[in-house]
Amino acid sequence: MIQTFLSMNGYGLFVWGSFAITFIACGLLYYKTFKTLKKHERDFAKEINELSSERKKIVIENSKIASQVLSSSSKTI
Amino acid sequence: MLNFFYNSNIYNWLGRLINFINSIFFPFLLVGLSFALIFSPPDYLQGDSVRIMYVHVPAAWIGLASFTCIALLSIFNFIFKIKNLILITKSIAPIGLMFTCIAIVTGSLWGQPTWGTFWVWDARITSMVILALFYVIFIIAHKLISKEDKANKISSLIAVIGAINIPIIKYSVEWWNTLHQPASIKLTGESSIHSSMLMPLLLMFFVLILYCALIFLMKYKTEIIRIKKKNLKRL
Repeated sequence: MIQTFLSMNGYGLFVWGSFAITFIACGLLYYKTFKTLKKHERDFAKEINELSSERKKIVIENSKIASQVLSSSSKTI
Repeated sequence: MLNFFYNSNIYNWLGRLINFINSIFFPFLLVGLSFALIFSPPDYLQGDSVRIMYVHVPAAWIGLASFTCIALLSIFNFIFKIKNLILITKSIAPIGLMFTCIAIVTGSLWGQPTWGTFWVWDARITSMVILALFYVIFIIAHKLISKEDKANKISSLIAVIGAINIPIIKYSVEWWNTLHQPASIKLTGESSIHSSMLMPLLLMFFVLILYCALIFLMKYKTEIIRIKKKNLKRL
């Protein structure tokens, strides 16, 4: 039964090939997008942390995004 | 009400939406794959090779829909000059390109057992390759042109020109004699596909739409952070 399922009545190579290509491509794009997002979050948090404490306070007060990125990066650490 | 459209509020919602889609994606994927590979019946003519349809057709739909969205948003951007629209088009483009390429490759794999060849310069297939090229030019324009305003204008122009190709793809199977079969699913009129195959097809389409939403939200979030990082000195 498993043999029949895998061979797909002789079309296994085409069917499994199509599904494999689709999911490998989707997996790679997900991985690349996730990595890029995390890198930008880390870099942004690092830049904020490098500011003087006074400036950092102003940035956090004026930007919700900056405070969210900082809090999420501190959670990751 | 308009406060919702500020980047800070959108950013907050992006995180929540990403978590929500992550939590429901895999159960839907498992159900979709089970129907596509196990429960749906083989075709009376094509046999089990018809299962390629469950990735090929949704991929083609997404490729077409993504470029239509990009073209419409580019037109709106020309008229209303809303910066967020550019962020959206930039986030959609890689998704559309990937699914267009998937549609071409899986279509080629489906072509071998069905038509006896991996490739023919058929109207539908050629117009899909042209669509992929428009995606590539759109993405390259954003990467290579350093001045953001100029890049936005040129990429929007590319999208508007590329939109001409969308009806050509849609009606290519009717306008020319092609190996590719005409559409089995029609929004207006009766579809010629049996419900036992239509249901898994729509399920797989939904799963891939969830995936697209996930990638789009992550890309959009990245773009917002990139802009905030650039404007850090102004805060």
